[in-house]
Amino acid sequence: MTEAAATPIRRFRAAELDLLSVLEVVIARSPKVLKNGLPNLAFFRAANASLAQPDDEPGGIGFAQVEFWLALARDLSLVAEVEGRLDVTPEADEFFTLTSDERLVLLRKAWIESRDLNEFALTPELELPALRKGRTVDVTSDFPTAERLVEARRELVQIVEAIQNETTLPEFVDWLERNARNLFITHDNDGSWRQVFYRGIRERGGREDVERDGSWEIVEGAVVRLMVALPLSSLGWIDYDPRSYAIAPLSDGPAEEHSFEVVVQPNFEAVALGDRPDPSALWRLARFTTPRPEGRVRTYILERKPFSDALGRGDAAAELVSFLAGLSRAPLPQNVRFSLDDWAALSERIKIWPDALLIEAEGVEDLARTLPEKLLSKLAPTKLTGGHYALPAPETSVLREVAPPRRTVLDYSRRLPPVIAPTDTTALSAPREELHFRARQLLGLVSRSLSTDRYELDPELVADSAAALGPEELLRRVREGMAKPLSAPLSLALRTWSGEFPRPYAGGAEVFLADNFEQAELLDELPEFKRWVERQLAPGVFLLRPNGAGELRRLLEKLGIKPRSDARGR
Amino acid sequence: MKLHLHVGVVETADEITLNEALAVAQCTERVLVRLAPNLAVLECDDAERVVSALEANGLHPKVMR
Repeated sequence: MTEAAATPIRRFRAAELDLLSVLEVVIARSPKVLKNGLPNLAFFRAANASLAQPDDEPGGIGFAQVEFWLALARDLSLVAEVEGRLDVTPEADEFFTLTSDERLVLLRKAWIESRDLNEFALTPELELPALRKGRTVDVTSDFPTAERLVEARRELVQIVEAIQNETTLPEFVDWLERNARNLFITHDNDGSWRQVFYRGIRERGGREDVERDGSWEIVEGAVVRLMVALPLSSLGWIDYDPRSYAIAPLSDGPAEEHSFEVVVQPNFEAVALGDRPDPSALWRLARFTTPRPEGRVRTYILERKPFSDALGRGDAAAELVSFLAGLSRAPLPQNVRFSLDDWAALSERIKIWPDALLIEAEGVEDLARTLPEKLLSKLAPTKLTGGHYALPAPETSVLREVAPPRRTVLDYSRRLPPVIAPTDTTALSAPREELHFRARQLLGLVSRSLSTDRYELDPELVADSAAALGPEELLRRVREGMAKPLSAPLSLALRTWSGEFPRPYAGGAEVFLADNFEQAELLDELPEFKRWVERQLAPGVFLLRPNGAGELRRLLEKLGIKPRSDARGR
Repeated sequence: MKLHLHVGVVETADEITLNEALAVAQCTERVLVRLAPNLAVLECDDAERVVSALEANGLHPKVMR
């Protein structure tokens, strides 16, 4: 006989701590999500170890409880994959602000309607060779579809809600076999040549599919046993005692008050003690600490990173400290209080919005007056130095609702239009209303402001920026940022200033011209000639060293050749 | 008023702290604009780099996501 005072909510509260433990392991580990969509094995082992009654992994039971709670958490969006890692969501924070009764209703609904949860796959006695790791079936199988499982759960809940007297699990399975044989799989045509076996369903370790005849208790019975032990018992539909296999209906009654306390130790460990902890309070504690759930003992390590992360989510440091102090009977150790205050002060020194909506105040504009009230109240932006505002980037639909009318939103996740117009001179035109930060960055790299909309390219700035970024990168940015192609003079200037083109020479020079190609080749073979040549500019055109013209004239005269003095003639 | 969506924003207690934070992340040259001496706007990827670099150095900024 099970406890007479068992009520649905009491049964649920005990089980709910397992959900809390699984989520705390998600917080503590941020496990990597594998290709099959499940977290890694290390997570499953840690989460299993954190349960009140862990499953026996080496005994082949696997991690049915962890998979069950994780599937419900996913269905309720309490966890989500973020950049390849599993993380808890703001929805989880909202979930734990609800009462236990409200959480119970949500979890019950999530289980009944879950399309990802597959009790056949969780049942340790069964093996489904057709089932891939990603929990999808790709060959013919008698395995029920997600819709059929949803229907079966609804039917099973109706059956257990109608239980009036205490019974045992084997009796219950036997009753279902006789009265709800088609609960999961249709058996109306059993015996026909198509329905001799449970196709794609084997006993664990079996080499062939299970024969239908006489195996209902082995296949569907195993699934029912799992459903009784996990969802039906955990979510407070029945009272189930796994030692005696007794199933009893639960009677409505008041929930017991939570009874627990948190001992904060000078080594920054907060230990939750008590048989009936409040999941809401523990969740809040877990969100600014590193939780270490281990069965009945729950430890929360106070560390700087999770504390700073909580501040980033909008919690006030003073509130967190006061909340922690409220959970503890004794005053917080002085070193802990000092460190929390210190961490808060240090975190406040550098504030970062990695993906933000920035509302820029232009000129002397006072945004506090001009911003729509609904934007301020709904998005609660933070005021920055200079009167600008920032907030984590909201959904586009939300922004559209509250944004001031006739204001363009510059979306930096896309390519922004080029707004800088080059001219035929080194002046640039960029209308202030259209100027975005990327264009402003470019203007800052290459020009100085002349007036509101006019800029002048600056050779020194271009040279400095080219040295920092490389001339090619700078010119790529310039070309991308211009509303039309650069004019020839502007292109020449920029490419020269950036160092891509060497500076051209303009001035006097001593030049030797040999109009005939062979004549030039023969001259080039003379060592006395080459001694005075600085560089060959083109075939037959030689730039000479200083005084080279006189020396070469003398050399040629020795050969009886009189060079001409006018470069234009022949 | 201009609305800039999906940018990274870094605000620090003072200019020196901002310079140091950007230098640690090697993002000084990648700043889109400095709206104030202690306020820089970057591309989102660069702001994430600043967060990662600071955390890797034992500094834990207040990160608003």
